[in-house]
Amino acid sequence: MGPLIVNEIISQNTNLLLAFFIGIGFGFVLEQAGFSSSRKLAGMFYGYDATVLKVFFTGAITAALGLLFFSLFGWIEMDYVFVNPTYLGSTIVGGIVMGLGFILGGFCPGTSFCGAAIGKIDALVFVGGLFIGIFIFAEGFPLWQNLYLSGFMGDITISKALNISPGLFVFLLILVAVGMFWVAEWAEKKFPREEY
Amino acid sequence: MFSKLNFRVILSALLILLGLIIAAVPENTTKPYKLTSGQMLEEIKSGTQFVQPDQVADMLINKDPYLQLIDVRSPEEFDQFHLPGAINVPLDNILSDQWTDILDQDVKMNVLYSNGTTHSNEAWMLIRQLGYGNNYVLEGGLNYWVETIMNPASPVSTNPGDEFARYDFRKGAGMALGAGAVAPSQQEGTSSAPKPTIATKIKKKKVASGGCS
Repeated sequence: MGPLIVNEIISQNTNLLLAFFIGIGFGFVLEQAGFSSSRKLAGMFYGYDATVLKVFFTGAITAALGLLFFSLFGWIEMDYVFVNPTYLGSTIVGGIVMGLGFILGGFCPGTSFCGAAIGKIDALVFVGGLFIGIFIFAEGFPLWQNLYLSGFMGDITISKALNISPGLFVFLLILVAVGMFWVAEWAEKKFPREEY
Repeated sequence: MFSKLNFRVILSALLILLGLIIAAVPENTTKPYKLTSGQMLEEIKSGTQFVQPDQVADMLINKDPYLQLIDVRSPEEFDQFHLPGAINVPLDNILSDQWTDILDQDVKMNVLYSNGTTHSNEAWMLIRQLGYGNNYVLEGGLNYWVETIMNPASPVSTNPGDEFARYDFRKGAGMALGAGAVAPSQQEGTSSAPKPTIATKIKKKKVASGGCS
């Protein structure tokens, strides 16, 4: 039956309402997982706290498994599921910029709002920087338009690019994720910090 | 501590097991959105699948790139006569895979036609029930096409102005599309009746959009 909007089972407005509640839930879970603390987020890079990796990869493999099983049961048609188009060049540059900002500021865009919502000053400053960045990007768009559109690959997925079934890819992803969880927990014990 | 570790092992094993299952089962490629008979009945009752010959003629003359005429008659009949730009998809093997790309798409406006409307409507019902959109049926079929576009009956002089305009349009369209040249009608009094604008509406499948950062 899904996706709900494309098949006109729910309206755009209902969709926005649902997005509102899901957004609140997402923020609540981020805060509960401790993602409003920049020290916890930065811990990912220094190895003393791998909560970020565990939460996001658990989320990813849960969603991937869920989608594939839903598709298997005929509850969702994967052809209609939105796949973000890939621009490889800008993705690589953007990933580096985002990673640098993440380790410098201790937040990613979502968690900075989470931190700002509970009144953290560093998160508020981070949100301010975010808007300055958006402004510079928008005003200077002609300068980086070519970079922004570079390496266009369409709605490609890794399983399509490797010519393997999505199920096999998700299985490999789960193996990698479980392996990473194991390494992450080992690192947490190896580089412990008392207070952060 | 032991039970905590045990819980992690169980959870990891469960994830890997689910991954194994999903890797082993074949992908679901069936199309689950076939219309139910109730939905089909609603669509048939509404009759929105029909397009008027005038609209098709207008699109043909304007060389509208969205128009795709599909002749569902037999290849022999198609060879004898077909509308300009039409392709032949015989009703007999309309479900064959070779036509899927043509019939199941969301770019063009497919207009099915046959001599009357029986066969074209049958074809439309079949592919509509498969969930394909953007397929329409030429109202009245080729017979009505010849009657209205190729050979329009001249309106009586008491008819309103737009009747004459439509007649003129049909005359012109018929000439442009291969009928004999006939002088346009003259209506007393009104010299320039507005040409009926025929709205070309193309239903576009909604594309999901989204993303996050």
